[in-house]
Amino acid sequence: MGFDIRQMKARGRVWKFGDSIETDAINPYYRYPTMEELKQHTMEVYRPEFPQQVKPGDIMVTGRNFGCGSSRPGLVLREVGIAAIIAESVSRLFLRNSISRAIPIFVAPGVTGIVQDGETLEVDYPKGVVVNTKSGASVAIRKYPPAIEQIFECGGLPEFAYERYLRETAAARTRS
Amino acid sequence: MAQTMAEKLLSRHNLAGKPVRTGDFLEARIDGAMCHYHASDSMIEAAHQAGFKDGLPRVWDREKIYVLLDHHQPTLTQKLADENAAVRREVERLGIKCFHDSEPGIAHQMMLDYGLVRPGELVVGNDSHTLGYGSVNAGATGITRADMFYVLLYGELWFQVPESIRIVLDGRQPQYPIAKDIVLYIAGQYGEDVAQSMSIEYAGSLVSQLSIDSRMCLSTHGVELGAKFAMFESDDATSRFVKARTDKPYEVLASDPGAQFAKEIRIDVDEMPFMIAKPHQFGNVAPVEEAKGVRIHQAQIGSCANGRYEDIEIAARMLEGRKVAKGVRFLISPASQQVYLQCLKAGLVEKLVEAGAQVITPGCGICQPRVGFLSDGEVCITATTRNFKGRKGSTQAEIYLGGPLTVTAAAVAGEIVNPKEVFRGL
Repeated sequence: MGFDIRQMKARGRVWKFGDSIETDAINPYYRYPTMEELKQHTMEVYRPEFPQQVKPGDIMVTGRNFGCGSSRPGLVLREVGIAAIIAESVSRLFLRNSISRAIPIFVAPGVTGIVQDGETLEVDYPKGVVVNTKSGASVAIRKYPPAIEQIFECGGLPEFAYERYLRETAAARTRS
Repeated sequence: MAQTMAEKLLSRHNLAGKPVRTGDFLEARIDGAMCHYHASDSMIEAAHQAGFKDGLPRVWDREKIYVLLDHHQPTLTQKLADENAAVRREVERLGIKCFHDSEPGIAHQMMLDYGLVRPGELVVGNDSHTLGYGSVNAGATGITRADMFYVLLYGELWFQVPESIRIVLDGRQPQYPIAKDIVLYIAGQYGEDVAQSMSIEYAGSLVSQLSIDSRMCLSTHGVELGAKFAMFESDDATSRFVKARTDKPYEVLASDPGAQFAKEIRIDVDEMPFMIAKPHQFGNVAPVEEAKGVRIHQAQIGSCANGRYEDIEIAARMLEGRKVAKGVRFLISPASQQVYLQCLKAGLVEKLVEAGAQVITPGCGICQPRVGFLSDGEVCITATTRNFKGRKGSTQAEIYLGGPLTVTAAAVAGEIVNPKEVFRGL
């Protein structure tokens, strides 16, 4: 599911979480091995109501070190409809995971200070800001370098690899 | 310009062939790729997801990919057995040379046991604890299963050159392992993201006294501090360890005098108390005295953090002439068959079993809800990697982390206690 992050805008209701939310909480696949089960249990150890009440288009706002712990993708968050994750900081592996699976995730230091749980947040990547639509408060989003934006556009790193493979095999055929 | 270890590592591996500095993005050439049990995600599912209908068309280098089906040996479910079998067929089809599918143990420990990692190499693994190879001066880090697919195909991967943090450990090595206490102390004092995306360089007067086992614990736990790399310089102990296992040449990494560090932390380990992490986060750290008297139902030593010879040796030494407290399940899982064998030959297993401990097949199960589940209201103290809610089954159970000595003391006392109160004369 590729998308052009350079054009990305989203507006949604905020689910706010604290610091150092671990991938065991996001993706407790040891206990719930299928996606259908995961959707019923994601984030429940922090917010038991989350799996039932999350709606497509909602936005997650998190504190520091989001996605610490094991290397596990957050695909379930996309499956339940989370449109974007905005974090004070992201664990490096979760950030890599999100880029490699083209899940919209943004680092925006200060974001937890401008929005409360349940309020509406607007993400404007081209302008490089997130804005609380009620108060008007905003903070800057860190932009990705063009090479990373391209991975989002391809739909993830495996898809990016496939495009490269097709390009290189076509070039090799032309040469021979 | 003076370079950190990370700058030197990534400059040497930069496909563009020029030096890189902190903050630069690059495409790096990979020396080794470790796929553990998520191999099926990286090799098979990612290939289909990408568009390769018949799976990976080839791999970049049959000699440099190491597939070790570690988490589930022996397999505990039909589904896992089927997954392992599918990986075996792919490994055979693709001609990957190094394949361990019939040996229990933790992939990271086997990578080191079998000399598959050498100083100065850039090694990636589809597991967060891949940082552990930094103990032998390798630039090693965890990547994702989707990243691994790219590596399998091209042997290349994008990186950003990390900032570096220098952690200086001063003091004397006591007669028991303290690596776990050190890393818990750092997480408690400076936060569990103190090294977020950074490269840790360990230094100080303690380092030369640290066993390779202790260095593995510290490097492995780099990820619990947020790090990308967690490296030690190569010394005599490193070269003895590496040269006993491989005759391949290598080029060591060391930072230059004057290299730029974003942070420096100094720790006097002689002044450090025994540390524990309370439920449910690694950074929820306190001196062991703060949890004194907490009754336990389970105690554990194992995992890629603490399943090594010295971790098991201290348990066996302390259990001699003592018994595990009634009602406490004391599970001990060597990190690999090689470690298990070393423990057997040294007579440790006999002492453990006599004292009432249970020895579990090497592997990752002890650190997950796979082996030794906890029930609601139960308390476990464990020398493994993580204490998240639900990590051992019930979300109503409580998990404390501690070093192997602290865990053994709790197993004997039946409650969390300062080891010096149980083992006098330490």
